[in-house]
Amino acid sequence: MTDLAALETAPSPRATPGQSIYVTSPEMKRRNAAETRFRAYGLVAIAVSLTMLAIMLFTILRDGSSTFFQAKLSFPVELSEKVLDPKGNRDPAEMAKVTTIGYAKVLASALLAELERQGIDLGELSDKEAAELISKDAPGGLRAMVLDNPALIGTTIDATVLAGGRIDGYLKGRVTMESAQLDSNISPEQLQLADRLRTAGILSSGWNWGFFTNPDASDQRPEAAGLGVALIGSAYLMALVALMCIPVGVAASIYLEEFAPKNRWTDAIEVNISNLAAVPSIVFGILGLAIFINFAGFPQSSSFVGALVISLMTLPTIIIATRAAICAVPPSIRDAALGVGASKMQTVFHNVLPLAMPGILTGTILGLATALGETAPLLLIGMVAFVDNYPGLPLEGVLDPATALPVQVYSWASRSDPAFIERSNGAIIVLLVFLVVMNVAAIWLRRRFERRW
Amino acid sequence: MKDMRMESRVDSTVNKIEARKVQVYYGATHAIKDVDVDIADRAVTAFIGPSGCGKSTFLRCLNRMNDTIAICRVEGQILLEGEDIYDRRVDPVQLRAKVGMVFQKPNPFPKSIYDNVAYGPRIHGLTRNKAELDQIVEDCLRKAALWNEVKDRLSAPGTGLSGGQQQRLCIARAIATQPEVLLMDEPCSALDPIATAQVEELIDELRHQFSVVIVTHSMQQAARVSQHTAFFHLGHLVEFGETGQIFTNPKDPRTESYITGRIG
Amino acid sequence: MSVAMLLAVIGVLALTGFVLSRQRALASAGGNSRALHSLPNYYGWNGAIWVLVPALAGLSLWLIVQPMVVESRISADLPAALVADDSARALTMADVRRVAGGLDQAVAQGAMSEAKAREMSTGAVDVRAVLANVGVALGSNVSPEVLSAAQDYRAMTAWGAAARTILILVLAVAGLFWGVSRAQQDYRARIAVERVVLGILALASSIAVFTTFGIIWSMASETYDFFTKYPIQDFFFSLTWSPNFRGNSDLGMIPLLWGTLYISAVSLLVAVPIGLFTAIYLAEYASKPVRNWVKPLIEIIAGIPTVVFGIFALVTVGPALRDWFAEPLGLGNSGSSVMTAGIVIGILNVPFISSLSDDIINAVPQSLRDGSYGLGATKSETVRQVILPAALRGIVGAVLMAASRAIGETMIVVMGAGAAAQLSLNPFDALTTMTVKIVGQLTGDTDFASPETLVAFALGMTLFVITLGLNVFALYIVWKYKEQYE
Repeated sequence: MTDLAALETAPSPRATPGQSIYVTSPEMKRRNAAETRFRAYGLVAIAVSLTMLAIMLFTILRDGSSTFFQAKLSFPVELSEKVLDPKGNRDPAEMAKVTTIGYAKVLASALLAELERQGIDLGELSDKEAAELISKDAPGGLRAMVLDNPALIGTTIDATVLAGGRIDGYLKGRVTMESAQLDSNISPEQLQLADRLRTAGILSSGWNWGFFTNPDASDQRPEAAGLGVALIGSAYLMALVALMCIPVGVAASIYLEEFAPKNRWTDAIEVNISNLAAVPSIVFGILGLAIFINFAGFPQSSSFVGALVISLMTLPTIIIATRAAICAVPPSIRDAALGVGASKMQTVFHNVLPLAMPGILTGTILGLATALGETAPLLLIGMVAFVDNYPGLPLEGVLDPATALPVQVYSWASRSDPAFIERSNGAIIVLLVFLVVMNVAAIWLRRRFERRW
Repeated sequence: MKDMRMESRVDSTVNKIEARKVQVYYGATHAIKDVDVDIADRAVTAFIGPSGCGKSTFLRCLNRMNDTIAICRVEGQILLEGEDIYDRRVDPVQLRAKVGMVFQKPNPFPKSIYDNVAYGPRIHGLTRNKAELDQIVEDCLRKAALWNEVKDRLSAPGTGLSGGQQQRLCIARAIATQPEVLLMDEPCSALDPIATAQVEELIDELRHQFSVVIVTHSMQQAARVSQHTAFFHLGHLVEFGETGQIFTNPKDPRTESYITGRIG
Repeated sequence: MSVAMLLAVIGVLALTGFVLSRQRALASAGGNSRALHSLPNYYGWNGAIWVLVPALAGLSLWLIVQPMVVESRISADLPAALVADDSARALTMADVRRVAGGLDQAVAQGAMSEAKAREMSTGAVDVRAVLANVGVALGSNVSPEVLSAAQDYRAMTAWGAAARTILILVLAVAGLFWGVSRAQQDYRARIAVERVVLGILALASSIAVFTTFGIIWSMASETYDFFTKYPIQDFFFSLTWSPNFRGNSDLGMIPLLWGTLYISAVSLLVAVPIGLFTAIYLAEYASKPVRNWVKPLIEIIAGIPTVVFGIFALVTVGPALRDWFAEPLGLGNSGSSVMTAGIVIGILNVPFISSLSDDIINAVPQSLRDGSYGLGATKSETVRQVILPAALRGIVGAVLMAASRAIGETMIVVMGAGAAAQLSLNPFDALTTMTVKIVGQLTGDTDFASPETLVAFALGMTLFVITLGLNVFALYIVWKYKEQYE
């Protein structure tokens, strides 16, 4: 058995015979240096990814936080009957014949009058150039206000209207005298006038509620673009996804975890669920376009189709989380219920499901948080279209064209005016706030209802 | 197989390791209390005792394996050839090259048989060329009585061997780093009787070159392979002496109770 | 009767079924619910189910089949010139539907009597003007064929709706009687109800399979359509991609595949070392508090939507790479580039790789670590020579999954990679990927009969096959790996 011969003859060299263990050998020093280096690689790796995360969040905050403030002009506007309701009969149809161009003139002359009253020098600017400080979106807003409330005609109101996008950029430091010289939309003289208006208190910067309520705006008026439609669209999306995913996801999980026989069909379902979770999201967009829009004929750009697509994407995630939650309910609970004569179905619905509920909710919220940020499939079903009408109220409203938060981020980012990049970053901040809230809710739920069996 | 070897002569009286007033704490638990032990060179010392008595814990102190457990704390003195292994200047990694270890469950690396044995020499830089390494691998496999069984399939994975072969491979791997002390933590507990017999025979051969410390819960095994025996109970070293004396004429009533099977 | 109305009636009948069945069952047991086989409510549910299931199943079937039947019959009646090919047929049918919808609205708003809508002809009435008045704008004047087809369409739809109402009501009422008649003392109502519930649960779980079939069917049919219009070998082997909406496009996918693979490779070069070292540090070196803090921080990256990374690529990484590397090195002046997209996708994939590798490294048994430490190996030697080789299969699986994610990633490449379909080796050149082109070809105005649009489905199919293949292979490898240590 034992090679005795080998044992006798084999040399038994001790690498460092009798060497003190207090002395670190040169070989050991080299190995320890390698050890330190290896450890450092790990630290560097962590530092790199966390630094990238920090830079990303920092640039978003830096570029986006100014979105929440907006330059506005405040001056009294006389709503003269002669211009706005020439017939004087307050007939809405008659009044509607005055277009936004008419209102633009009203605003322009009111601003010029105020400048004159306060003795502000126009410099070399023409009246028209001075009036360009007012956003192109302002006349439309004023017109809607007057048509809504014809009693305003004939009075003088203290109007607060948006300043143009370049003026807003100037107050935020994005537009400078140098950039204005190269810019056909604004001149340095106009910026100097803006300075004087600011000192006079006509031009000021205030909290930008419009960002949350306004619909999207065209390329020429970034100052008026808001998340109104996107927020409604995302809210519809999330509500529909939750309505579709939770029942189906829970039903599917119960079946797979508690009832499914071990057969090929069950195996097929299992394999499909784990693979669907890894299918690129854009493929789901193609599916939505081909089946829900082209084949079933649902309206393009609608939150309903968006929700169908996102639900199919989110379902695997929710099923995986729900199954884990159901699995975590110990068998003793089931045995106890079955032992007092409950049917398997009663056991599941009366005993297992309530206990698994916190886990299911946590998983669902996390799944919805991922769904909220999903962009690519929505592009394909047309939710990236320019939508400046609010979708209607549910239920019909879910078939109206809408956009969603992440899609709005993308569509603003792809416009040329840097003012839209600011809006895009602002939209990201809003999106991230929602995600943080959802994740905190999930963590809270988990902590609150965590059970140790 | 030789039978009970209680009468076997003790080869050497030189002490390789001297432990004095060793205390080990796991968090708040006082696992080892006031242990004094002398491990003789070129002899087999067995640690016996009921499970949970601290014999494995103490064994792992001897090459500072306990360092890898964050909550473990060791006090007292353990001298290897007169030098305190818990001294600040000691590099535990370097120490472990001198005090090798074989574990309860055979744990060959998922590599070839050759690479398993060559692992230690390679990381410690013991060889200058392939021929030397080949020589070491062959020597160690011969010493571990495995050479004839595996010489034709050195590149086969070590995990493919039988349990007894795996354990002998682990012993070959341990002696390939050319340690001075070999610690064995219940090396046969996962093996069948035939494999156990092979490993025990091997241990007996190894004591000609190494100082071997073996933890075992089998008194027969201690009696068969060791020259000195230490009996641990509840974290105390109850009795320590020559194996023959411990088994035939225990001084402490607890030792006697254990040996006769009343506690355990 | 409208669908909503029909649903309401079915609901009322179901409720009736519930109440009647419950009462009848109780009566059959002489009012003693303990003499029943099941709880009284189960009899009620059984009654309701008998109303709901046949009626709703019939309704959904009808709603799917009717439009298909109507469309095929209408388009069969249209003159051949209007339905010459698929795209002409689709256009004509869209017109027919629009006119029919306009007529419906005109009648509903009282602009036109029902009889007039049925009888009128293009000679007598300017249909376009009439419809414009009720808010339905048409692109061109209505031809007589289209008008009569629209009138047929309306007639058939109206007939269908009437038939539907009758059929569904008959089904519901029959179900009601049958269900109530079953409500007898010894009828096993609970078992019957539970069987139906089980069926619903099984149906819900099958949605995953239906989705997969939906994906494959929708893409395969359009892809087949594409290959009837564009040669298959040109798609797979042509080296140029230059779509031209006036026709005669070159639609070779090689440049797109090259861009996809190049960018994915760069992303793996970033993600694998960073992710792996992160996992190693967290699993083997980090103290518990450090681990508890750093792990969630890394996971934050995984929770951020990809469109945010897209902005990061577009606004920060792209210009930085251009100004600091590409331009000084003379390698180009494009902010969108392989490097931009690759690095950002890499960062996105770091938490994915690190958490998968973390699991895999932790699955390596402690006895192997002990064995290595017991031989006097340092931690890094143990990691490099024992743990990583032991975990290799699992890590390869994780890397393959990350590759599949990188290949399918859309928003970051749309915003960071550029749109130039070219075979370039320069990592600072703008390249494009399959996903970018899918988005490009399918957004905006699309004509589902032209190869320029349909190519997106072929690209999608290729993408699906590649990512699915990678993923199945990766799952298999990881599964094999886990098996090894169980």
